[in-house]
Amino acid sequence: MSDIAIKVENLSKLYHIGAKDSGLLSERISHSIKSLFSKNGKAQDPTEFWALRDINFEIKKGDAVGIIGRNGAGKSTLLKILSRITEPTTGRVTINGRVASLLEVGTGFHPELTGRENIFMNGAILGMKQAEIKRKFDEIVDFSGIEKFIDTPVKHYSSGMYVRLAFAVAAHLEPEILVVDEVLAVGDAEFQKKCLGKMEDVSSKEGRTVLFVSHSMTAISSLCSSAIFLEKGRIEFIGEVSVAINRYLKRQNLTSASAQINPNNVKQIHNGPRHIAELISIALFDRDYMPISEIEIGEELSVRIGFRVKQRRDNFEIGFAIVDNLERPLFGFVSTWEGFETKFNEGEHYVECEIPSINLLPNTYGIIVWIKEQGQSVDHEVSGILDFQVIGKDITGFNPYFERYKHLGVFQRSKWSLLEKESV
Amino acid sequence: MNQIVIDANKKFSLNLRELIEYRELLFMLAYRDIKVRYAQTALGVLWALIQPLTTLVIFTLIFGKVVKVDTNGVPYTLFALSGMSLWGYFSAVMSQAGNSVIGAQGIVKKIYFPRLIIPLSKCISAFVDFGITLLFLLGLMLYHQYIPSVNAVWIPFFILATIFSGLGIGIWLSALSIRYRDLQYVLPFAVQLGTYASPVAYPSSLVPQEYLAFYYLNPMAGMIDGMRWAMFGSPINNGVFISFGVSVFLFVSGFIYFRKIEGEIADIV
Repeated sequence: MSDIAIKVENLSKLYHIGAKDSGLLSERISHSIKSLFSKNGKAQDPTEFWALRDINFEIKKGDAVGIIGRNGAGKSTLLKILSRITEPTTGRVTINGRVASLLEVGTGFHPELTGRENIFMNGAILGMKQAEIKRKFDEIVDFSGIEKFIDTPVKHYSSGMYVRLAFAVAAHLEPEILVVDEVLAVGDAEFQKKCLGKMEDVSSKEGRTVLFVSHSMTAISSLCSSAIFLEKGRIEFIGEVSVAINRYLKRQNLTSASAQINPNNVKQIHNGPRHIAELISIALFDRDYMPISEIEIGEELSVRIGFRVKQRRDNFEIGFAIVDNLERPLFGFVSTWEGFETKFNEGEHYVECEIPSINLLPNTYGIIVWIKEQGQSVDHEVSGILDFQVIGKDITGFNPYFERYKHLGVFQRSKWSLLEKESV
Repeated sequence: MNQIVIDANKKFSLNLRELIEYRELLFMLAYRDIKVRYAQTALGVLWALIQPLTTLVIFTLIFGKVVKVDTNGVPYTLFALSGMSLWGYFSAVMSQAGNSVIGAQGIVKKIYFPRLIIPLSKCISAFVDFGITLLFLLGLMLYHQYIPSVNAVWIPFFILATIFSGLGIGIWLSALSIRYRDLQYVLPFAVQLGTYASPVAYPSSLVPQEYLAFYYLNPMAGMIDGMRWAMFGSPINNGVFISFGVSVFLFVSGFIYFRKIEGEIADIV
């Protein structure tokens, strides 16, 4: 028996986009008429799109492998081929073992069916036998924590309950190979933690093979030992997870809306005396890990900071402040406050800070970033490098007209109550 | 250890074993359809009776009382209901199976299973309504004190052949409609036309001799004739064999065609 779980050879996938497959007979006819009259019928079809091109790799049994890359790099196509949802155009995949793929939680759930019925429905779709589901039923219900509502149609569930039940079924599949798409993007933070924990159990304790697509580098690096970095349908790098992430972030920073730090584009630079580290980039992302320059009030914001360590230290501190348009600091975020690991070797590194909700009134804001050794003076600090907009949204439900109060800066929820009844 | 090989150049196979492995999903999908259809309706399963009942009343008034078609001695209500029940089942299987893959695109894009399960499950879920109509027909026969002949042992055969033709056309439509959505609009129209192109309200003996060969290319023409023969001993002709041949051909060819294009469904739908 070989120790290879998945072997992929010369895998390619061609998609036809646009008119050709719109499904409308009229468009199909007009397309064939057009191609009849076009002069060089053999020219490359502009509607052709290679989602994957000559992919080769092997995954050993028990490995947890991350797949990273920008949107459209071919990650989902790869997962879809491995889970047999779509067929490759060329190439061959050999999979040793039972595969369960979770490209979505709760596939096949129907709002009219009860929780109990949906467990059986979803289980059957995921390829479980009814006897197997019966055996694990209590465990599944237990894990989901919704015993009381198990005979209620799921249309009456809150979205949290729905996702918990759906994940509970998936978590009790016992595949040799687990293929997971960004299912963690749904649900609250606590639930996401639970999912990640379960996936870690599956891969490290139970020794199963896990293939995991995510935009969250935090999730990838905590779960996976190696990673595949896809770019435009080809493998850009495959190997050690930290190296893959590093290459990916470097590439992303070169191309996304984020800012590179160099003396020309920065208003103020403060250079410390010791030159132990140097900031190189900063980028903002929303909760879906899309690079952004605008964000709605109350939304999650991720700040990604790149830096080059020149001299190894055990106690770096990385921090940034959000400032108003007069460069007055409003908020500060410091790595050491949160017990973030601060040991860095020489070389380029990227860290990410997640701010669960951005409590700023609609306006333009800037960022000041610094890096230093803990307890020492600032080594490198830059400001004026990146502006972002906060956009108003009715998050309180009372038509707050946030735009009129932009000068107030910080927004904070509060409770109001009347202490005395008016006596007339 | 089971090994899965995904090969772009794999040879085509019907892979019946895989379909059998997924039989539980077939029943789950059917169960879901049945449950959902009557969820939150005040009358519930009664709806399965109301529709054929109203049609029956209209047919009885027009063809039984006004036109007075020759039913070979069978009370007209029995005659019409026997045809309607079988035709109703056929058209339900055909249209539900025909729209099934487009309707299930949410699942199809997210998980693998043999796609053929989706249209196939429709012959089970549609059977509930059919069964209720059959029970009603049985009650009507008791009321008319009508005793079926020994031919009745053939009833399951004609029901099975109806499933073949309903699924046959349904599978073809489900496979073609993912590319040509136009077919979705043709379906209700075809069902309506088909009601009159089949001996539902009238006996096939009214069809002129020279058209009979064409008439029985409609698989349901032969099946309804056969059902009446089995139930009431009504006359029957060789057209039944043409119809049966057509329904088997539709089913087998649809089955093979669907299995061939199955892999592309998630890309197109």
